[in-house]
Amino acid sequence: MGLREYIVRRILQLVFTLWAFVTLLFVLFRMVPGDPTTRFVMEYPTPEAREQRVEELGLNEPLYVQYVEYLGQLLRGEFGDSTHYREPVSELIFPLFLNTVVLMFTALIIAYTFGVLFGAAMGWLRGSRFERGGIVATLVARSSPEFWIGVILVWIFVFQLGVLPRSGIGAHGGELTMNVVDRYVNVDFLRHLILPALTGAIYYMATPALLMRNTMLEVLKADFIEIKKAEGLPERTVLYKHAARNSVLPLVTVVAIATGAAMGGSVIIETVFNWPGIGREMVASVTRNDYPVAMAAFFLMGTAVIVMNFVADLAYLYLDPRVKYE
Amino acid sequence: MTLLTIDGLQMYYRSEAGYVRAADDITLELERGQTLGLVGESGSGKTTIARSIIRLLPDNAEVVDGSIDFDGTDITELTDRELRNQIRWQEVSMIPQNAMNGFDPVYTVGQQIVQVIRHHEDGVSKADAKDRAKTLFDELGIDPDRVDDYPHQFSGGMAQRAMIALALCLEPRLILADEPTTALDVVIQDRILDTIKEMQAEYDSAMILITHDISVVSETSDRIAVCYGGRIVEQADAATIIKNPRHPYTLGLRNAFPDIGDSDEELISIPGTPPELVDPGEGCRFAPRCPFAEEECWDVTPEPEEYDDGHIVECHRADEADELRSLAEKRETWMDTDEATPTPAQGGDD
Ligand SMILES: Nc1ncnc2c1ncn2[C@@H]1O[C@H](COP(=O)(O)OP(=O)(O)OP(=O)(O)O)[C@@H](O)[C@H]1O
Ligand SMILES: [Mg+2]
Repeated sequence: MGLREYIVRRILQLVFTLWAFVTLLFVLFRMVPGDPTTRFVMEYPTPEAREQRVEELGLNEPLYVQYVEYLGQLLRGEFGDSTHYREPVSELIFPLFLNTVVLMFTALIIAYTFGVLFGAAMGWLRGSRFERGGIVATLVARSSPEFWIGVILVWIFVFQLGVLPRSGIGAHGGELTMNVVDRYVNVDFLRHLILPALTGAIYYMATPALLMRNTMLEVLKADFIEIKKAEGLPERTVLYKHAARNSVLPLVTVVAIATGAAMGGSVIIETVFNWPGIGREMVASVTRNDYPVAMAAFFLMGTAVIVMNFVADLAYLYLDPRVKYE
Repeated sequence: MTLLTIDGLQMYYRSEAGYVRAADDITLELERGQTLGLVGESGSGKTTIARSIIRLLPDNAEVVDGSIDFDGTDITELTDRELRNQIRWQEVSMIPQNAMNGFDPVYTVGQQIVQVIRHHEDGVSKADAKDRAKTLFDELGIDPDRVDDYPHQFSGGMAQRAMIALALCLEPRLILADEPTTALDVVIQDRILDTIKEMQAEYDSAMILITHDISVVSETSDRIAVCYGGRIVEQADAATIIKNPRHPYTLGLRNAFPDIGDSDEELISIPGTPPELVDPGEGCRFAPRCPFAEEECWDVTPEPEEYDDGHIVECHRADEADELRSLAEKRETWMDTDEATPTPAQGGDD
């Protein structure tokens, strides 16, 4: 099978997975108790008024009609109106989603860049004091709750050094009138980004560091490492260009999963730093029975995981020449 | 002209139990362009000896004594950096047992050859280096365009040829071939060995060829050194080792490969197990397995003794070799070794 065929097939697979996912979402949200009118019983003076609202929302239609309508909405990027805010969910949720994406991607990029380099060094220097210290530090970071790391960082950088803002997203962060670039590319925003991103980075760094170290130990046993040393290449080249380059392969899949998890797991960081992101909104919407918002939040996070997996597969294709297109 | 002189080398591995004497008092010489065969059973120290030359050893390896002179430079005195830049691959390259694993799987074979050429030779463009790789491929009978293939796209035999190309790309003066054909099937083995020999002659490189199989080295080597228990127990030119060996271990080895010497068709193997390399104690290390061991063999470590030109043997009974040789061809000689030896308890212990 050729490369192009493989990619086409993989794209079809992606579409199918997305379809299965949104269908599952649909089923789940029809199964939860109550309908969107339940919470606002007080607002409907008569049962007739309530009936009317139900009709407006299309909830009295047969399920398959609702389902088709729902798919159509998703394709148009609509999620209906929030029952809480009384405004279109899409306008509400996309900016929040983007805030989370910016925060989590920053955190993950830092975590994986340093995690990989650090893990590679630990594997290379196995048995050394550096490695032992590194493992302890990594495990401590891994087992510390995110809020605790956040609080420590706030204590140092806000209360002791006084160099960074305590929380929020900066003056323009929440403003939707500005275009995306102006919103995120300014010193004020970046200053607000540092602490939450660092908190995430420290927390997420353990996985790549430990995994990298373990795969390094395996890869370093391979014959080709000996040959590269015998070739007289500098240690740095053998370490990064050969040993680390081979060890990084299993991490590609992990990155994809971690990204998805980070989207959902961002709720704690968002809460500690008062970051207007989708994680917080998702939790809030569930407690408020605001189904359209909750569903949109789930949809975006799930889609992020699925798309990242797809990207990981393609990256793998590029990174490992041995991958067979099957 | 002598290219390599190893003199009294003691390369030991540190371990909990003490030093593992993997290469103990090794003395060897290798002429330019010649091939030295290193034979001996598993664990006898062949790899350790060969790798000492480029210091490609585990962290717990330590040169306790001795020197390795490579064309006037004592390699044991070089810093790691000097060794990397002056000796490794430039002067001494290697062909590993399993070529498929000798290449980094994520780069093409061509990229790996280009990388090492450009690392050692300043001012060579990528294109020029790649042309050199292609020329080498052509000489080795591989389609030059295959330099752009990844290692996993090669068959075992072809990968081994590609590895030979890598080993030769800087025209080293010494090639270390550590069982270069054991991973291949028998038919291809011979062809690869022939190729190595041809290329070696063309580039005028010397070679250390390691193998378990004494018949392989008998065809390909100028000189043969027989390793046993971390020592070289006998060395001489190839014809002498095959026709007039003096050490009982060599006699036994010869029996195990029926196509050389004039032994019976049936194989006769040497009973017993390799010696302990931690604290081997006094006495000949082969004594516990030697059908000809005497009192002296258990108590006194034999000194190397030179017979005819360059035939060096470490055995108390090497003088009686003619007699022992005919005994060694008999199967009975190699049975019940334990009973035949006096006071075996004195063996390896103290
Ligand atoms: N890192 C190490 N630490 C301790 N002992 C070691 C180490 N490496 C090798 N040895 C021991 O040193 C001895 C010689 O090993 P070496 O690999 O040189 O043998 P060899 O003749 O090449 O064997 P083979 O034919 O199996 O490759 C063996 O007894 C082995 O157990
Ligand atoms: Mg070996």
